[in-house]
Amino acid sequence: MNEHAVEHAVGRAHAVEEHHPQAPTYIVVAIILTILTAFEIGVFYAPSLQVILVPLLIILAILKFILVAAFYMHLHFDSRVFSALFIFPLGLAALIVLSLMLLFFYLGEHLAL
Amino acid sequence: MAAQPKPLYVRELNYLEGGGIYGWLTTIDHKRIAVLYGITALVMLLFGGVEALLVRTQLMVPNNHFLTAQQYNQFFTMHGLTMIFLVIMPLETGFFGNFLIPLQIGARDVAFPRLNALSYWVFLLGAITINLGWIWGALPNDGWFGYANLTEKFYSPGINIDFYDIGLLILGVSSVMSALNFFVTIINMRAPGMTFFRMPMFIWSLLVTTILILLAFPALTVGLIFLFMDRYFDTHYYRVIAGATPILWQHLFWIFGHPEVYIMILPAFGLISEIIPVFSHKPLFGYPMMAYSLILIAFLSYGVWGHHMFATGMGPIADSTFAITSMLIAIPTGIKIFSWIATVWGGRLQFSTAFLFAIAFVLQFTIGGLSGVMHASPPIDLEQTDSYIIVAHFHYVLGLGALFAVLGALYMYWPKITGRMLSEKLGKWNFWLAVWSFNATFFPMHFLGELGMPRRIYTYAPHMGWDFWNYWETINAYIIALSFIILAINVWWSLQYGERAAADPWDARTLEWSTPTPPPVYNFAAVPTVMARDAFWVAKYGNVEATGLEQSNVAATAPSLVDVSKIHIPAPSLYPVFIALGVFGMGIGMLVEWYRVVLMGAALLAISVISMTFEYPSWGREDPHAVAESFLSLDSRKVGIWSFIGSECVFFASLISTYMVYKARSTGPFDADILNIPLTSFSTFVLLMSSLLMVLALAGYQRNDKFWGTFWLIGTAIFGCIFLGGQVYEFGDFWLNEGMLFNSNLFSQCFYTLVGFHGFHVFIGVCWLVTLAVAGMLGKIDTKRSLAVEIGGLYWHFVDIVWVVIFTLVYLMRTIKHA
Repeated sequence: MNEHAVEHAVGRAHAVEEHHPQAPTYIVVAIILTILTAFEIGVFYAPSLQVILVPLLIILAILKFILVAAFYMHLHFDSRVFSALFIFPLGLAALIVLSLMLLFFYLGEHLAL
Repeated sequence: MAAQPKPLYVRELNYLEGGGIYGWLTTIDHKRIAVLYGITALVMLLFGGVEALLVRTQLMVPNNHFLTAQQYNQFFTMHGLTMIFLVIMPLETGFFGNFLIPLQIGARDVAFPRLNALSYWVFLLGAITINLGWIWGALPNDGWFGYANLTEKFYSPGINIDFYDIGLLILGVSSVMSALNFFVTIINMRAPGMTFFRMPMFIWSLLVTTILILLAFPALTVGLIFLFMDRYFDTHYYRVIAGATPILWQHLFWIFGHPEVYIMILPAFGLISEIIPVFSHKPLFGYPMMAYSLILIAFLSYGVWGHHMFATGMGPIADSTFAITSMLIAIPTGIKIFSWIATVWGGRLQFSTAFLFAIAFVLQFTIGGLSGVMHASPPIDLEQTDSYIIVAHFHYVLGLGALFAVLGALYMYWPKITGRMLSEKLGKWNFWLAVWSFNATFFPMHFLGELGMPRRIYTYAPHMGWDFWNYWETINAYIIALSFIILAINVWWSLQYGERAAADPWDARTLEWSTPTPPPVYNFAAVPTVMARDAFWVAKYGNVEATGLEQSNVAATAPSLVDVSKIHIPAPSLYPVFIALGVFGMGIGMLVEWYRVVLMGAALLAISVISMTFEYPSWGREDPHAVAESFLSLDSRKVGIWSFIGSECVFFASLISTYMVYKARSTGPFDADILNIPLTSFSTFVLLMSSLLMVLALAGYQRNDKFWGTFWLIGTAIFGCIFLGGQVYEFGDFWLNEGMLFNSNLFSQCFYTLVGFHGFHVFIGVCWLVTLAVAGMLGKIDTKRSLAVEIGGLYWHFVDIVWVVIFTLVYLMRTIKHA
């Protein structure tokens, strides 16, 4: 590969990095994460919210997960290749958890698995 | 006067020359590593073959006492383990994968050459570990699937199962490292112009295989860790008496185990897809569908594990689901078989030994595949499971399938690897004897299965109707051995007297044949630019549909003058050997319960890893050429860490699933109410804020602010230590004040394991951060080298988001029964 092509490619790589957010964005994300965590703990202790505890906690955890992955891990800014490398296995991992839960708790409930 | 560039290939040694024993010990050249894998796997093939012959000799006549029942169990178990983990996988992925991937994609080496060497040495020592039972007289004896709860101390008090458990854990580490390396290489290091749909089909098959390895092995690792804990720490992961279920092992094992079948067969598909077009002088028929079929097979392979478990009583819905997905796999597999036939159809056929093995593969694999479709039906499977029909099925798929593909590929690629031709005459003898003896041995097993002969019995009574076929099969098993003796003679003859091979002796189609034979260390003097599929064929004959009878213009395509002395070749390293020895020491120390050896192994491992980190003089440097030469303009290290994180997702998913299942089944004095929410809320906050410090550190280094970069990095490590301190306090409180031991009940063991493994990841992260901080203080990190911090940061943030999940599921949902 000639030098021009090298510079071009490095330029592209650095251009991507230049789009990484800077400190103010990171701090805002941290504040949101703190608020979400406080809300999670509040939900845990609030008797009136026990009915919807599980869906609420799952939603809050997903929000925190997405914030860290998108901003701190830069998936929102980096090449989509990285998102694919993360999301596909993550989906598979979620399917494994769901499948085993189904197999043990519901499909085989009366079969003493 | 300017110096003239050196003529192409004048002075350079080929990859086999030079260096001596030390050169081989420290090599990081993918071709040499391939040869090391090949030699090791062929030695293991000898072991696996002898084990098979011992098994067959025992079964030759009824009421035989050639072996004891205990010896028989050990030999059939070792035969399975050896052939799967130490022969087929390393030959396909370690040997052919290592040798061919860079050559076929136009790269000079794999993405991480030292990791490649480490993978081999760990593999070698893992193979030795699992075979150490020969010395102790205690080989693994519970089948390659190691079904719980037979593997528990109560039922298997010897150390046979410990060799299985620790050996497979070590081999798993090697497999995952190799897969990660190859995946990144294929994704990111292809030559310019080599798009996905210009890649050779073998590369496609390995791309899919590496994904399978990365996402399947963690489930096995978790299952093996549980087994290890049951045997060493007296936990109850597979003990019914404690409320657990051995079925958990089957799920974890087969979540790995069925993709493992495809890990063995997909590279075989790839090799066959290389052999058939070359000797048919036609392009591969239906290339896009062949590639899509591979992807579909891999995707479906994760949804079929239950077909190994129909007999466990999963219920009609689960059985039906797994049956449907299992049958669906026949569709993409059928596409491949018809495409191979269509490739041969109308071709200008050259009946070389390699081609004969390939044709035999297609026919024999089809037989094995068809019996596989039968077993996908639960009612039929319930009749056939654990009978000799199953033994026939998997030997047709893997013995007469995968092994035949390997043999065919060996005949085709031997000249490129060694520079010598094999004897075609001996090859034909090898082939016809193998075809006869393999079929004569394994086809009658269908009859034995139908006659009711179960698997794994060490002897049988006379007059069951099994005598003749068992006698017949044993005689033919020895003929299989004879066919391999002929192969060995052929190999010896070739190395001694074989004709010197030309660069392209088969008039082949892909880039590896454009290199000299054997290839030079750097593979390609000039990185090729790929303009079409079957790039070398097109270079020779102008278009992919050419018959090969046209005038070759290959000489005109080679660059005439290239200064090869300027090609960067990574320096050799001895650290992979030391790291592997550290892993080996830890494993052996655990096996014989010499904990000093475990500590010495851990120390050697840690020192070697840190030393290797600083070994490379331009440590952490973003290599502009590496980025520029990458196909996607991405740094391979970043692709690598994301691939690793993907693999870790499945690891934690397996741990979390087990926690959730067993928490609901747990009885006894302790449950999730014991958990300390205020303390853990604080720890959660600390860990989340450590992620903030981590990105601030990265931002600091990216703007070349070394002080603040290092400052925030140290801050991150301190926050990590605070988190770990909280965990130590929590564990200590449970242990000392509440009396909740590791093995008190299902809840306690799952809690300590899940949270403990996360803590271990945090600990590794802290060590990583400290290493980075030291490098920062030594001035080794600046803007150009900030990628090192980014990669460490990605791992750290991943550990953080895993905690987000654990905090929610384990702590905040502690009162929910099924959560």
